[in-house]
Amino acid sequence: MNIKSTVRLAAVLGTIGAITLLCFHLVPVNATTAGFAYLIAILLIATAWGLLEAMVASVTAVLCFNYFFFPPIGTFTIAEPRNWVALCAFLATSIVASQLSARAKRQAQEAMERREETERLYALSRAILLTEAGRMAPKEYAKEIAQIFDLSSVALYERYSAATYRAGPNDLPGVEEKLREAATLGTLFRDELSEITVTPIHLGGQPIASLAISGRLLSDSALQAISNLVAIGLEKVRGQEAASQAEAARRSEELKSTLLDAIAHEFKTPLTSIKAAASALLLNAENSTEQQRELATIVNEEADRMAWLVTEAIQMARIEAGEIQLNRRSCALPKLLSKALERLRLLTEDRALDVQIDPNVPMIAADTGLLELAIRQVIDNALKYSPPTSAIHVRLSAGENGIIISIRDEGPGIPEVDQAHVFDKFYRGSNTRSKLAGTGMGLAVARHILRSHGGDIQLATTSEKGSEFVISLPVVSEAKRR
Amino acid sequence: MSAGSILVVDDDPQIRRVMRVALVASGYIVNDAKSGEGALEALRNNKYDLVLLDINMPGIGGLETCRLIRTTSEIPIIMLTVRSSENDKVEALDAGADDYITKPFGTPELLARIRAALRRSPLSTDGLPESLALGEIEVCFNIRRVRKGTLEIPLTPKETDLLRFLAANCNAPVPHARLLQTIWGPDYGDEVEYLRVFVNHLRKKIEPNPSSPQYLLTVPRVGYQLQVPSKR
Repeated sequence: MNIKSTVRLAAVLGTIGAITLLCFHLVPVNATTAGFAYLIAILLIATAWGLLEAMVASVTAVLCFNYFFFPPIGTFTIAEPRNWVALCAFLATSIVASQLSARAKRQAQEAMERREETERLYALSRAILLTEAGRMAPKEYAKEIAQIFDLSSVALYERYSAATYRAGPNDLPGVEEKLREAATLGTLFRDELSEITVTPIHLGGQPIASLAISGRLLSDSALQAISNLVAIGLEKVRGQEAASQAEAARRSEELKSTLLDAIAHEFKTPLTSIKAAASALLLNAENSTEQQRELATIVNEEADRMAWLVTEAIQMARIEAGEIQLNRRSCALPKLLSKALERLRLLTEDRALDVQIDPNVPMIAADTGLLELAIRQVIDNALKYSPPTSAIHVRLSAGENGIIISIRDEGPGIPEVDQAHVFDKFYRGSNTRSKLAGTGMGLAVARHILRSHGGDIQLATTSEKGSEFVISLPVVSEAKRR
Repeated sequence: MSAGSILVVDDDPQIRRVMRVALVASGYIVNDAKSGEGALEALRNNKYDLVLLDINMPGIGGLETCRLIRTTSEIPIIMLTVRSSENDKVEALDAGADDYITKPFGTPELLARIRAALRRSPLSTDGLPESLALGEIEVCFNIRRVRKGTLEIPLTPKETDLLRFLAANCNAPVPHARLLQTIWGPDYGDEVEYLRVFVNHLRKKIEPNPSSPQYLLTVPRVGYQLQVPSKR
């Protein structure tokens, strides 16, 4: 029994005692008046505190009534039978009245509680509807339930992802097992003593999750309503996930088709020259030998170009798949740079190439083939995204922190939306995507190669006057490496 | 005498080189341009009989170049394209090209298409009408113009040929294959999308309401028919 009810019972006894004192000693009244005074006190007690207190008051009042007001006064014996009737009537009236008023009080209290529950459920439904249906939404739901229903702890277990989301100041030790059981079998668990409830959450007759709460016991209807709201919320999250997966699949399809388009274009260009030249040779047997020579030269050159494209495509695919093996050798960067430019000769013949090479650049240990591929990709990118006759500036220099290669074009610059993505695989500039051939792999592959050499590449500046990419490479000599 | 002068527009130097050799060997005079901008410049400075235009080029691109050429000139244009999807072909024709060829192509096919495009008036004009009256609209075939009151709308050579041939067979359906072979040449016959695009262009020029045509009618699964109102 707690202190509060002890105090109340003492107050009940005190009240009855006070009435007895008043009616017997201070203002002596007859038995009927005293009986009414007791009855009023009992009714008030029943309304204010409840049935238990009213019953105690009734029994005490009967004893006092008998002792002080029914002759022989001062004893618990009753001489006249009619007084027995009066006493019994008093007892029955007081018990019935206290029960009635206690019930009225209880009902009022229940109505209050229900109203409060409804308000809380409304708040929860708002919270669930307004929570963005992202990956962290279930965690938010648990937090909202704990906060809105004033619970010491909440654990939400989702069967689909087998994840448990917790909220509230207290942990629920050992509740995992019960959560899993509830989410699989749909069983309700309630421990009145520790005030822990574990309820399954159903959607379309199937349990999809479970909820454990502690800190207070909620009514069945509130529990049902909470689990329904959470079910709707979780379904919303699932729907959102499915939609974003579909979106991702669609985008990957789009990327694949762009890539295939780009490959088709890259390969079909030399193939076109070969086919046209070969069929022209077959068509005009009477062509001059000079024309025949020219056509045959084109076939030969373009066959080389095809072979080189195939090699490069395989190389790019390997690097893209993460299979990169550096075969480091001593490497002179000035020579490597001129070789890369020579390979791009067909694309650069109309361009003013401004190449500045610092002769003091030290030799480094690098995979020459891959490094040349990387540099070529960056120059090729500069050529692609600048006007057909504008100049390209290439600088090779040695600084304190290593070797710097800067490649600058005079193109229109990279729009702000694209800047963060230039090194993303398959990413193509937003305003050139459909117009220019390309796989969107060049810069991604270049960065991969440079990073595996311990270097890096960055977009240094970009404006309407052009963009500058800066490659940095550490000086690793053959001797140091070993 | 040369067979004609051709402007080759492609950003790939090797393709320009092979085109030059192959076309010169067939008697054409060839000049080339590396970009759409270069092509427009070349067309301003010299007279050509035909343009071979690559679709996929940096800068303004082939389709835009074609549209720009069409604003001032009726010169035959053959587009070079890598993609062979119907959408790309329709885009090329819609931009104003007379024909297209998909890379990689053989020289004989290219030469055949050049000949077909250069055949300005493949029909003997005997027995074909000189002009055509459609309600308030008058079509003058010899000067390739549509007169709508005081407004004069030019027709491209292919549009003129198509309309004239339909006028010669007016009020009767003309099959797709017959139209293609008469207007484009004997190597054609399956390129129904050519007709669809050119008919759409013609409808915009001669129909009061191009979306519900009353003169140039589609005969489903057969071809097209020119319905000429009877004179009273």
